[in-house]
Amino acid sequence: MDNSLFSKPRDLFLDIVNPKDYVQIDSVSHMYQSLKNSVQKPLKMILLYGRPGTGKSMLLHKLHHDLSKHQKVFMISTPIVDEDDFLRVLAQNIFGHAPREVMTLNRFLELSDALSLPIIPIVLLDEAQLYSASLMEKIRLISDARAIKFVITLHKTDKEDVIAKEHFQTRIWESIELQNASHDELKVYIQKKLLKFNCFDVANMFNDKNIKLISTLTKGNYRETNKLLYSLFSLYCWFEENNPNTIHYNALKHKWIEMAAIHTGLIRA
Amino acid sequence: MRSNINGLKWLQFTQDLFVLDIHNLERRWLKYKIKTFLPVFTTIILVTLLIMGTVMLWSKSKPNTTPSPLLTTNTKKIAQSRKTVSTPVENNMILEPSMDFIHSISEPAHVITPPPESGQMKNINTTQKIASSQLPPPVAKTLYVLELPPLPKAQIQSSTNNKTMTINRNESTLDITELEQRFKETSNANLGLFIARYYYEHSNYSESYNYALKTNAVNSHIEESWIIFAKSLTKLGKTDQAKKTLQFYISQSGSETAKGLLDNIEKGNFK
Repeated sequence: MDNSLFSKPRDLFLDIVNPKDYVQIDSVSHMYQSLKNSVQKPLKMILLYGRPGTGKSMLLHKLHHDLSKHQKVFMISTPIVDEDDFLRVLAQNIFGHAPREVMTLNRFLELSDALSLPIIPIVLLDEAQLYSASLMEKIRLISDARAIKFVITLHKTDKEDVIAKEHFQTRIWESIELQNASHDELKVYIQKKLLKFNCFDVANMFNDKNIKLISTLTKGNYRETNKLLYSLFSLYCWFEENNPNTIHYNALKHKWIEMAAIHTGLIRA
Repeated sequence: MRSNINGLKWLQFTQDLFVLDIHNLERRWLKYKIKTFLPVFTTIILVTLLIMGTVMLWSKSKPNTTPSPLLTTNTKKIAQSRKTVSTPVENNMILEPSMDFIHSISEPAHVITPPPESGQMKNINTTQKIASSQLPPPVAKTLYVLELPPLPKAQIQSSTNNKTMTINRNESTLDITELEQRFKETSNANLGLFIARYYYEHSNYSESYNYALKTNAVNSHIEESWIIFAKSLTKLGKTDQAKKTLQFYISQSGSETAKGLLDNIEKGNFK
Protein backbone atom coordinates (compact mmCIF):
# COMPACT_ATOMS: atom_id res chain seq x y z
CA MET A 1 0.00 0.00 0.00
CA ASP A 2 2.83 2.43 0.87
CA ASN A 3 4.39 1.77 -2.54
CA SER A 4 1.25 2.97 -4.18
CA LEU A 5 1.58 5.80 -6.66
CA PHE A 6 -1.27 7.56 -4.93
CA SER A 7 -0.38 7.15 -1.25
CA LYS A 8 2.10 10.03 -1.24
CA PRO A 9 -0.25 12.51 -2.93
CA ARG A 10 -2.98 11.38 -0.57
CA ASP A 11 -0.87 12.18 2.49
CA LEU A 12 0.05 15.55 1.02
CA PHE A 13 -3.55 16.63 1.22
CA LEU A 14 -4.06 15.77 4.85
CA ASP A 15 -5.59 18.81 6.49
CA ILE A 16 -2.61 19.75 8.64
CA VAL A 17 -1.38 23.32 8.87
CA ASN A 18 2.32 23.21 8.24
CA PRO A 19 4.25 26.28 7.02
CA LYS A 20 6.50 23.97 5.01
CA ASP A 21 3.49 22.91 2.93
CA TYR A 22 2.72 26.52 2.06
CA VAL A 23 2.08 26.81 -1.67
CA GLN A 24 2.83 30.10 -3.32
CA ILE A 25 -0.09 31.39 -5.34
CA ASP A 26 0.03 34.85 -6.88
CA SER A 27 -2.93 36.35 -5.06
CA VAL A 28 -2.04 34.75 -1.73
CA SER A 29 1.60 35.80 -2.11
CA HIS A 30 0.45 39.34 -2.63
CA MET A 31 -1.65 39.14 0.53
CA TYR A 32 1.21 37.68 2.43
CA GLN A 33 3.58 40.39 1.31
CA SER A 34 1.17 43.12 2.35
CA LEU A 35 0.74 41.36 5.70
CA LYS A 36 4.49 41.31 6.20
CA ASN A 37 4.71 44.99 5.29
CA SER A 38 1.93 45.80 7.73
CA VAL A 39 3.72 44.01 10.51
CA GLN A 40 6.76 46.20 9.93
CA LYS A 41 4.68 49.35 10.31
CA PRO A 42 3.99 50.82 13.77
CA LEU A 43 0.45 49.47 13.78
CA LYS A 44 -1.24 48.22 16.90
CA MET A 45 -3.52 45.58 15.51
CA ILE A 46 -3.78 43.82 12.16
CA LEU A 47 -6.80 41.81 11.16
CA LEU A 48 -6.69 38.87 8.80
CA TYR A 49 -10.17 37.69 7.92
CA GLY A 50 -12.01 35.54 5.43
CA ARG A 51 -14.41 32.66 5.13
CA PRO A 52 -13.41 29.32 6.64
CA GLY A 53 -10.89 27.43 4.53
CA THR A 54 -9.43 30.44 2.74
CA GLY A 55 -5.96 29.86 4.22
CA LYS A 56 -5.88 32.26 7.16
CA SER A 57 -4.30 29.84 9.57
CA MET A 58 -1.76 28.75 7.00
CA LEU A 59 -0.81 32.36 6.34
CA LEU A 60 -0.51 33.04 10.04
CA HIS A 61 1.69 30.00 10.53
CA LYS A 62 3.79 31.04 7.58
CA LEU A 63 4.15 34.51 9.05
CA HIS A 64 5.14 33.04 12.36
CA HIS A 65 7.64 30.78 10.66
CA ASP A 66 9.22 33.64 8.72
CA LEU A 67 9.17 36.36 11.39
CA SER A 68 10.44 34.21 14.23
CA LYS A 69 13.86 34.13 12.56
CA HIS A 70 14.29 37.87 13.07
CA GLN A 71 12.16 39.00 15.99
CA LYS A 72 10.15 37.92 18.98
CA VAL A 73 6.93 36.39 17.74
CA PHE A 74 4.51 34.31 19.72
CA MET A 75 1.62 32.43 18.23
CA ILE A 76 -1.50 31.21 19.99
CA SER A 77 -3.14 28.72 17.60
CA THR A 78 -5.78 27.51 20.01
CA PRO A 79 -7.57 30.30 21.84
CA ILE A 80 -6.91 30.58 25.61
CA VAL A 81 -10.27 31.67 26.85
CA ASP A 82 -9.36 32.20 30.51
CA GLU A 83 -8.14 35.77 30.93
CA ASP A 84 -5.64 35.03 33.69
CA ASP A 85 -4.19 32.12 31.75
CA PHE A 86 -3.99 34.21 28.61
CA LEU A 87 -2.03 37.01 30.29
CA ARG A 88 0.16 34.55 32.17
CA VAL A 89 1.06 32.68 28.94
CA LEU A 90 1.84 35.97 27.21
CA ALA A 91 4.02 37.18 30.10
CA GLN A 92 5.91 33.93 30.15
CA ASN A 93 6.49 33.71 26.40
CA ILE A 94 7.06 37.38 25.64
CA PHE A 95 8.72 38.70 28.74
CA GLY A 96 10.11 35.44 30.06
CA HIS A 97 8.40 36.06 33.37
CA ALA A 98 6.45 33.35 35.15
CA PRO A 99 4.49 35.11 37.87
CA ARG A 100 3.38 33.24 40.95
CA GLU A 101 0.60 35.63 41.76
CA VAL A 102 -2.54 36.24 39.69
CA MET A 103 -1.72 38.09 36.50
CA THR A 104 -3.84 41.19 36.10
CA LEU A 105 -3.85 43.57 33.20
CA ASN A 106 -2.13 46.25 35.27
CA ARG A 107 0.58 43.83 36.37
CA PHE A 108 1.10 42.80 32.73
CA LEU A 109 1.44 46.40 31.56
CA GLU A 110 3.86 47.13 34.46
CA LEU A 111 5.99 44.22 33.32
CA SER A 112 5.95 45.55 29.76
CA ASP A 113 6.98 49.02 30.93
CA ALA A 114 9.69 47.62 33.14
CA LEU A 115 11.24 45.60 30.32
CA SER A 116 10.67 48.22 27.59
CA LEU A 117 11.76 45.99 24.72
CA PRO A 118 13.43 47.82 21.81
CA ILE A 119 11.23 46.10 19.23
CA ILE A 120 7.57 45.62 20.00
CA PRO A 121 6.92 41.89 20.19
CA ILE A 122 4.28 40.37 17.90
CA VAL A 123 1.55 38.02 19.03
CA LEU A 124 -0.41 36.05 16.47
CA LEU A 125 -3.91 35.02 17.55
CA ASP A 126 -5.71 32.45 15.48
CA GLU A 127 -9.49 32.00 15.72
CA ALA A 128 -9.92 35.29 17.53
CA GLN A 129 -13.71 35.14 17.24
CA LEU A 130 -13.63 32.62 20.10
CA TYR A 131 -12.26 35.11 22.60
CA SER A 132 -14.68 36.70 25.02
CA ALA A 133 -15.60 40.35 24.78
CA SER A 134 -13.82 41.26 28.02
CA LEU A 135 -10.66 39.49 26.95
CA MET A 136 -10.79 41.28 23.61
CA GLU A 137 -11.07 44.51 25.53
CA LYS A 138 -7.89 43.63 27.43
CA ILE A 139 -6.14 42.74 24.18
CA ARG A 140 -7.15 46.14 22.83
CA LEU A 141 -5.74 47.90 25.91
CA ILE A 142 -2.46 45.99 25.64
CA SER A 143 -2.12 46.94 21.97
CA ASP A 144 -3.09 50.57 22.73
CA ALA A 145 -0.31 50.67 25.33
CA ARG A 146 2.04 49.44 22.56
CA ALA A 147 3.13 46.61 24.80
CA ILE A 148 2.39 44.03 22.08
CA LYS A 149 1.47 44.17 18.41
CA PHE A 150 -1.38 41.75 17.61
CA VAL A 151 -2.14 40.00 14.36
CA ILE A 152 -5.48 38.28 14.64
CA THR A 153 -7.47 36.07 12.33
CA LEU A 154 -11.24 36.00 12.18
CA HIS A 155 -13.79 33.87 10.43
CA LYS A 156 -15.91 35.99 8.24
CA THR A 157 -19.40 34.66 8.63
CA ASP A 158 -22.56 36.69 9.01
CA LYS A 159 -22.67 36.19 12.77
CA GLU A 160 -18.99 36.69 13.33
CA ASP A 161 -18.97 39.75 11.16
CA VAL A 162 -21.04 41.46 13.84
CA ILE A 163 -18.47 40.56 16.48
CA ALA A 164 -15.75 41.88 14.21
CA LYS A 165 -17.57 45.15 13.86
CA GLU A 166 -18.21 45.53 17.56
CA HIS A 167 -14.78 44.68 18.92
CA PHE A 168 -12.32 45.30 16.19
CA GLN A 169 -13.48 47.72 13.59
CA THR A 170 -12.44 50.95 15.29
CA ARG A 171 -9.22 49.51 16.62
CA ILE A 172 -7.96 47.79 13.52
CA TRP A 173 -5.32 49.71 11.70
CA GLU A 174 -5.09 47.39 8.80
CA SER A 175 -7.22 44.50 7.64
CA ILE A 176 -6.62 41.93 4.95
CA GLU A 177 -9.39 39.81 3.52
CA LEU A 178 -8.64 36.39 2.09
CA GLN A 179 -10.84 35.02 -0.68
CA ASN A 180 -11.60 31.51 -1.89
CA ALA A 181 -9.39 30.33 -4.73
CA SER A 182 -10.47 30.86 -8.29
CA HIS A 183 -10.46 28.05 -10.82
CA ASP A 184 -6.95 28.89 -12.02
CA GLU A 185 -5.61 29.44 -8.52
CA LEU A 186 -6.91 26.07 -7.44
CA LYS A 187 -5.19 24.46 -10.40
CA VAL A 188 -1.91 26.14 -9.46
CA TYR A 189 -2.37 25.16 -5.82
CA ILE A 190 -2.95 21.48 -6.57
CA GLN A 191 -0.23 21.16 -9.15
CA LYS A 192 2.37 23.12 -7.23
CA LYS A 193 1.69 21.07 -4.14
CA LEU A 194 2.12 17.82 -6.06
CA LEU A 195 5.18 19.01 -7.95
CA LYS A 196 6.76 20.32 -4.77
CA PHE A 197 6.85 16.74 -3.52
CA ASN A 198 7.82 15.20 -6.88
CA CYS A 199 4.44 13.67 -7.65
CA PHE A 200 4.82 14.45 -11.36
CA ASP A 201 2.76 11.54 -12.70
CA VAL A 202 -0.20 12.38 -10.53
CA ALA A 203 0.11 16.11 -11.27
CA ASN A 204 -0.16 15.31 -14.97
CA MET A 205 -3.42 13.48 -14.42
CA PHE A 206 -5.25 16.70 -13.58
CA ASN A 207 -6.82 18.21 -16.67
CA ASP A 208 -8.92 21.34 -16.90
CA LYS A 209 -12.21 19.45 -16.64
CA ASN A 210 -11.05 17.74 -13.47
CA ILE A 211 -9.99 21.03 -11.95
CA LYS A 212 -13.26 22.65 -12.95
CA LEU A 213 -15.25 19.90 -11.28
CA ILE A 214 -13.13 20.08 -8.14
CA SER A 215 -13.44 23.86 -8.08
CA THR A 216 -17.21 23.62 -8.48
CA LEU A 217 -17.53 21.07 -5.73
CA THR A 218 -15.29 22.84 -3.23
CA LYS A 219 -16.14 26.40 -4.29
CA GLY A 220 -12.43 27.18 -4.17
CA ASN A 221 -12.19 26.39 -0.50
CA TYR A 222 -8.66 25.13 0.29
CA ARG A 223 -9.71 23.00 3.24
CA GLU A 224 -12.50 21.35 1.26
CA THR A 225 -10.11 20.81 -1.63
CA ASN A 226 -7.64 19.09 0.68
CA LYS A 227 -10.37 16.87 2.06
CA LEU A 228 -11.68 16.00 -1.38
CA LEU A 229 -8.26 15.17 -2.78
CA TYR A 230 -7.40 13.11 0.27
CA SER A 231 -10.56 11.04 -0.31
CA LEU A 232 -9.91 10.88 -4.03
CA PHE A 233 -6.39 9.54 -3.65
CA SER A 234 -7.61 7.10 -1.03
CA LEU A 235 -10.04 5.81 -3.66
CA TYR A 236 -7.21 5.55 -6.15
CA CYS A 237 -5.15 3.63 -3.62
CA TRP A 238 -8.03 1.22 -3.15
CA PHE A 239 -8.55 0.69 -6.86
CA GLU A 240 -4.82 0.37 -7.44
CA GLU A 241 -4.74 -2.44 -4.93
CA ASN A 242 -8.02 -4.15 -5.80
CA ASN A 243 -8.85 -3.32 -9.38
CA PRO A 244 -5.90 -1.64 -11.11
CA ASN A 245 -7.32 -2.06 -14.62
CA THR A 246 -9.93 0.56 -13.93
CA ILE A 247 -7.35 3.32 -13.43
CA HIS A 248 -6.60 5.62 -16.34
CA TYR A 249 -3.29 7.38 -15.86
CA ASN A 250 -3.93 10.16 -18.35
CA ALA A 251 -6.80 11.79 -16.49
CA LEU A 252 -8.75 11.61 -13.28
CA LYS A 253 -12.11 9.91 -13.42
CA HIS A 254 -15.03 12.26 -12.90
CA LYS A 255 -16.95 9.45 -11.34
CA TRP A 256 -14.31 8.94 -8.67
CA ILE A 257 -14.07 12.67 -7.99
CA GLU A 258 -17.82 12.67 -7.41
CA MET A 259 -17.58 9.56 -5.26
CA ALA A 260 -14.90 11.27 -3.18
CA ALA A 261 -17.18 14.30 -2.91
CA ILE A 262 -20.01 12.07 -1.71
CA HIS A 263 -17.69 10.52 0.85
CA THR A 264 -16.55 13.89 2.19
CA GLY A 265 -20.08 15.27 2.24
CA LEU A 266 -19.61 17.82 -0.51
CA ILE A 267 -22.33 16.02 -2.46
CA ARG A 268 -25.45 14.88 -0.67
CA ALA A 269 -26.49 11.57 -2.15
CA MET B 1 12.06 13.17 15.98
CA ARG B 2 9.20 13.15 18.46
CA SER B 3 7.10 15.34 16.22
CA ASN B 4 7.71 12.98 13.31
CA ILE B 5 6.46 10.05 15.37
CA ASN B 6 3.41 12.05 16.38
CA GLY B 7 2.82 12.92 12.73
CA LEU B 8 2.99 9.28 11.70
CA LYS B 9 0.60 8.31 14.48
CA TRP B 10 -1.78 11.02 13.36
CA LEU B 11 -1.51 9.78 9.79
CA GLN B 12 -2.26 6.22 10.85
CA PHE B 13 -5.15 7.44 12.95
CA THR B 14 -6.72 9.38 10.11
CA GLN B 15 -6.23 6.46 7.72
CA ASP B 16 -7.95 4.15 10.18
CA LEU B 17 -10.82 6.57 10.39
CA PHE B 18 -11.01 6.79 6.63
CA VAL B 19 -12.55 3.46 5.86
CA LEU B 20 -13.87 3.29 2.33
CA ASP B 21 -16.89 1.26 1.52
CA ILE B 22 -16.46 1.39 -2.24
CA HIS B 23 -19.61 -0.55 -3.12
CA ASN B 24 -21.77 1.62 -0.93
CA LEU B 25 -20.08 4.68 -2.37
CA GLU B 26 -20.73 3.52 -5.93
CA ARG B 27 -24.36 2.89 -5.10
CA ARG B 28 -24.68 6.37 -3.64
CA TRP B 29 -22.95 7.83 -6.67
CA LEU B 30 -25.44 6.08 -9.00
CA LYS B 31 -28.31 7.41 -6.93
CA TYR B 32 -26.81 10.88 -7.14
CA LYS B 33 -26.43 10.69 -10.93
CA ILE B 34 -30.01 9.52 -11.36
CA LYS B 35 -31.17 12.34 -9.11
CA THR B 36 -29.09 14.82 -11.12
CA PHE B 37 -30.28 13.74 -14.54
CA LEU B 38 -33.91 13.02 -13.66
CA PRO B 39 -35.08 16.64 -14.08
CA VAL B 40 -33.23 16.84 -17.40
CA PHE B 41 -34.84 13.66 -18.74
CA THR B 42 -38.24 14.71 -17.43
CA THR B 43 -37.92 18.09 -19.13
CA ILE B 44 -36.88 16.49 -22.43
CA ILE B 45 -39.79 14.05 -22.34
CA LEU B 46 -42.28 16.79 -21.44
CA VAL B 47 -41.02 19.08 -24.19
CA THR B 48 -41.18 16.24 -26.73
CA LEU B 49 -44.73 15.38 -25.71
CA LEU B 50 -45.71 19.03 -25.85
CA ILE B 51 -44.29 19.43 -29.35
CA MET B 52 -45.98 16.23 -30.53
CA GLY B 53 -49.29 17.32 -29.02
CA THR B 54 -49.05 20.74 -30.64
CA VAL B 55 -48.27 19.23 -34.03
CA MET B 56 -51.18 16.80 -33.74
CA LEU B 57 -53.59 19.53 -32.69
CA TRP B 58 -52.38 21.78 -35.47
CA SER B 59 -52.73 19.08 -38.08
CA LYS B 60 -56.26 18.29 -36.87
CA SER B 61 -57.37 21.89 -36.82
CA LYS B 62 -55.96 22.57 -40.32
CA PRO B 63 -58.91 23.03 -42.72
CA ASN B 64 -59.20 20.40 -45.46
CA THR B 65 -59.27 22.70 -48.46
CA THR B 66 -57.54 20.47 -50.96
CA PRO B 67 -58.52 17.02 -51.97
CA SER B 68 -56.40 14.45 -50.28
CA PRO B 69 -54.19 12.20 -52.38
CA LEU B 70 -56.45 9.35 -51.43
CA LEU B 71 -59.41 11.13 -52.94
CA THR B 72 -57.47 11.98 -56.06
CA THR B 73 -56.49 8.39 -56.45
CA ASN B 74 -60.04 7.37 -55.92
CA THR B 75 -61.16 9.81 -58.57
CA LYS B 76 -58.71 8.31 -60.97
CA LYS B 77 -60.02 4.86 -60.22
CA ILE B 78 -63.57 5.95 -60.86
CA ALA B 79 -62.59 7.51 -64.12
CA GLN B 80 -60.55 4.55 -65.24
CA SER B 81 -63.02 1.85 -64.60
CA ARG B 82 -66.61 1.62 -63.66
CA LYS B 83 -65.83 -1.31 -61.50
CA THR B 84 -63.54 0.67 -59.25
CA VAL B 85 -66.42 2.95 -58.39
CA SER B 86 -67.85 0.21 -56.27
CA THR B 87 -64.53 -0.40 -54.47
CA PRO B 88 -64.85 0.47 -50.78
CA VAL B 89 -62.93 3.59 -49.88
CA GLU B 90 -59.91 3.05 -47.76
CA ASN B 91 -58.73 4.40 -44.49
CA ASN B 92 -59.29 8.03 -43.72
CA MET B 93 -62.42 8.80 -45.65
CA ILE B 94 -64.71 10.41 -43.18
CA LEU B 95 -67.76 10.35 -45.35
CA GLU B 96 -67.94 8.52 -48.61
CA PRO B 97 -70.91 7.26 -50.51
CA SER B 98 -71.52 3.59 -50.41
CA MET B 99 -71.22 2.63 -53.99
CA ASP B 100 -72.62 -0.84 -53.51
CA PHE B 101 -75.81 0.07 -55.19
CA ILE B 102 -73.87 1.13 -58.27
CA HIS B 103 -72.32 -2.30 -58.36
CA SER B 104 -75.82 -3.72 -58.31
CA ILE B 105 -76.73 -1.55 -61.26
CA SER B 106 -73.39 -1.87 -62.97
CA GLU B 107 -74.90 -2.96 -66.23
CA PRO B 108 -77.54 -0.27 -66.46
CA ALA B 109 -74.90 2.30 -65.64
CA HIS B 110 -73.66 1.95 -69.17
CA VAL B 111 -77.07 2.85 -70.35
CA ILE B 112 -77.18 5.92 -68.18
CA THR B 113 -73.85 7.48 -68.68
CA PRO B 114 -72.67 7.56 -72.23
CA PRO B 115 -73.75 10.90 -73.55
CA PRO B 116 -72.06 11.96 -76.77
CA GLU B 117 -69.70 14.36 -75.03
CA SER B 118 -68.88 12.01 -72.18
CA GLY B 119 -65.65 11.07 -73.85
CA GLN B 120 -64.23 13.41 -71.27
CA MET B 121 -64.71 10.64 -68.79
CA LYS B 122 -61.91 8.72 -70.44
CA ASN B 123 -59.59 11.60 -69.96
CA ILE B 124 -60.25 12.11 -66.35
CA ASN B 125 -57.49 9.74 -65.37
CA THR B 126 -55.12 12.52 -66.31
CA THR B 127 -56.34 14.42 -63.29
CA GLN B 128 -53.43 15.96 -61.52
CA LYS B 129 -53.12 16.81 -57.95
CA ILE B 130 -52.56 20.53 -57.63
CA ALA B 131 -51.64 22.74 -54.79
CA SER B 132 -54.44 24.40 -52.94
CA SER B 133 -53.15 27.83 -53.91
CA GLN B 134 -53.71 26.97 -57.55
CA LEU B 135 -57.31 26.06 -57.04
CA PRO B 136 -59.90 28.51 -58.19
CA PRO B 137 -61.97 30.10 -55.47
CA PRO B 138 -65.07 28.28 -54.26
CA VAL B 139 -68.03 28.71 -56.49
CA ALA B 140 -70.73 30.71 -54.87
CA LYS B 141 -74.02 31.87 -56.21
CA THR B 142 -72.51 35.13 -57.37
CA LEU B 143 -69.54 33.31 -58.78
CA TYR B 144 -71.92 31.28 -60.84
CA VAL B 145 -72.42 34.30 -63.01
CA LEU B 146 -68.77 35.26 -63.02
CA GLU B 147 -67.52 31.82 -63.85
CA LEU B 148 -69.68 31.49 -66.89
CA PRO B 149 -68.13 32.72 -70.04
CA PRO B 150 -70.19 35.54 -71.41
CA LEU B 151 -73.03 34.06 -73.29
CA PRO B 152 -73.93 35.60 -76.58
CA LYS B 153 -76.56 38.15 -76.19
CA ALA B 154 -80.01 36.86 -76.79
CA GLN B 155 -81.07 37.87 -80.11
CA ILE B 156 -84.35 39.58 -79.89
CA GLN B 157 -86.31 39.55 -82.97
CA SER B 158 -89.44 41.53 -82.99
CA SER B 159 -92.12 40.57 -85.29
CA THR B 160 -94.08 43.41 -86.54
CA ASN B 161 -96.76 41.13 -87.81
CA ASN B 162 -97.97 39.36 -84.71
CA LYS B 163 -96.06 41.60 -82.26
CA THR B 164 -94.60 38.69 -80.48
CA MET B 165 -91.07 38.60 -79.25
CA THR B 166 -88.93 35.57 -79.94
CA ILE B 167 -85.90 35.00 -77.84
CA ASN B 168 -83.28 32.74 -79.37
CA ARG B 169 -80.85 31.58 -76.81
CA ASN B 170 -77.71 30.01 -78.10
CA GLU B 171 -76.41 27.30 -75.85
CA SER B 172 -72.75 27.12 -76.45
CA THR B 173 -71.42 23.69 -75.62
CA LEU B 174 -67.92 25.06 -75.88
CA ASP B 175 -68.33 27.02 -72.64
CA ILE B 176 -69.29 24.07 -70.52
CA THR B 177 -66.65 22.02 -72.27
CA GLU B 178 -64.08 24.53 -71.13
CA LEU B 179 -65.31 24.18 -67.56
CA GLU B 180 -65.19 20.43 -67.83
CA GLN B 181 -61.65 20.70 -69.08
CA ARG B 182 -60.77 22.85 -66.08
CA PHE B 183 -62.40 20.33 -63.79
CA LYS B 184 -60.30 17.60 -65.32
CA GLU B 185 -57.21 19.64 -64.70
CA THR B 186 -57.97 20.84 -61.20
CA SER B 187 -60.42 18.31 -59.69
CA ASN B 188 -61.99 21.22 -57.90
CA ALA B 189 -65.09 20.00 -56.09
CA ASN B 190 -66.84 23.35 -56.40
CA LEU B 191 -66.29 23.36 -60.13
CA GLY B 192 -67.61 19.79 -60.34
CA LEU B 193 -70.67 20.86 -58.39
CA PHE B 194 -71.18 23.79 -60.72
CA ILE B 195 -71.09 21.51 -63.78
CA ALA B 196 -73.42 18.97 -62.15
CA ARG B 197 -75.80 21.79 -61.27
CA TYR B 198 -75.56 23.16 -64.81
CA TYR B 199 -76.39 19.80 -66.39
CA TYR B 200 -79.19 19.18 -63.96
CA GLU B 201 -80.71 22.56 -64.75
CA HIS B 202 -80.41 21.74 -68.40
CA SER B 203 -82.10 18.39 -67.83
CA ASN B 204 -79.04 16.42 -68.83
CA TYR B 205 -79.45 14.07 -65.90
CA SER B 206 -76.91 11.48 -66.93
CA GLU B 207 -74.20 14.15 -66.97
CA SER B 208 -75.42 15.77 -63.79
CA TYR B 209 -75.31 12.30 -62.22
CA ASN B 210 -71.78 11.82 -63.49
CA TYR B 211 -70.46 15.14 -62.22
CA ALA B 212 -72.25 14.84 -58.89
CA LEU B 213 -70.60 11.45 -58.48
CA LYS B 214 -67.17 12.88 -59.33
CA THR B 215 -67.73 15.80 -56.99
CA ASN B 216 -68.66 13.46 -54.17
CA ALA B 217 -65.51 11.50 -54.81
CA VAL B 218 -63.42 14.66 -54.52
CA ASN B 219 -65.26 16.06 -51.52
CA SER B 220 -67.90 13.98 -49.82
CA HIS B 221 -69.12 16.82 -47.59
CA ILE B 222 -70.99 18.87 -50.16
CA GLU B 223 -74.68 18.46 -49.48
CA GLU B 224 -75.85 19.94 -52.74
CA SER B 225 -73.78 17.47 -54.71
CA TRP B 226 -75.49 14.57 -52.96
CA ILE B 227 -78.90 16.14 -53.57
CA ILE B 228 -78.18 16.58 -57.29
CA PHE B 229 -76.87 13.02 -57.38
CA ALA B 230 -80.09 11.65 -55.87
CA LYS B 231 -82.32 13.90 -57.96
CA SER B 232 -80.49 12.84 -61.13
CA LEU B 233 -80.96 9.18 -60.23
CA THR B 234 -84.64 9.80 -59.65
CA LYS B 235 -84.95 11.61 -62.93
CA LEU B 236 -83.23 8.69 -64.61
CA GLY B 237 -85.80 6.39 -63.09
CA LYS B 238 -83.51 4.89 -60.49
CA THR B 239 -85.64 5.83 -57.53
CA ASP B 240 -84.51 2.94 -55.36
CA GLN B 241 -80.88 3.83 -55.80
CA ALA B 242 -81.69 7.46 -55.12
CA LYS B 243 -83.42 6.48 -51.87
CA LYS B 244 -80.52 4.28 -50.83
CA THR B 245 -78.08 7.08 -51.56
CA LEU B 246 -80.11 9.57 -49.57
CA GLN B 247 -80.56 7.17 -46.66
CA PHE B 248 -76.84 6.58 -46.59
CA TYR B 249 -76.08 10.28 -46.71
CA ILE B 250 -78.65 11.07 -44.00
CA SER B 251 -77.15 8.40 -41.77
CA GLN B 252 -73.76 10.02 -42.21
CA SER B 253 -74.65 13.69 -42.08
CA GLY B 254 -78.19 13.99 -40.77
CA SER B 255 -78.93 16.52 -43.50
CA GLU B 256 -82.41 18.03 -43.25
CA THR B 257 -82.50 18.83 -46.97
CA ALA B 258 -81.71 15.23 -47.83
CA LYS B 259 -84.46 14.08 -45.44
CA GLY B 260 -86.92 16.39 -47.12
CA LEU B 261 -85.95 15.12 -50.58
CA LEU B 262 -86.20 11.50 -49.48
CA ASP B 263 -89.60 12.22 -48.06
CA ASN B 264 -90.72 13.82 -51.32
CA ILE B 265 -89.39 10.90 -53.38
CA GLU B 266 -91.10 8.38 -51.14
CA LYS B 267 -94.39 10.27 -51.31
CA GLY B 268 -94.03 10.59 -55.03
CA ASN B 269 -93.93 14.38 -54.90
CA PHE B 270 -90.66 14.41 -56.70
CA LYS B 271 -90.45 12.61 -59.95
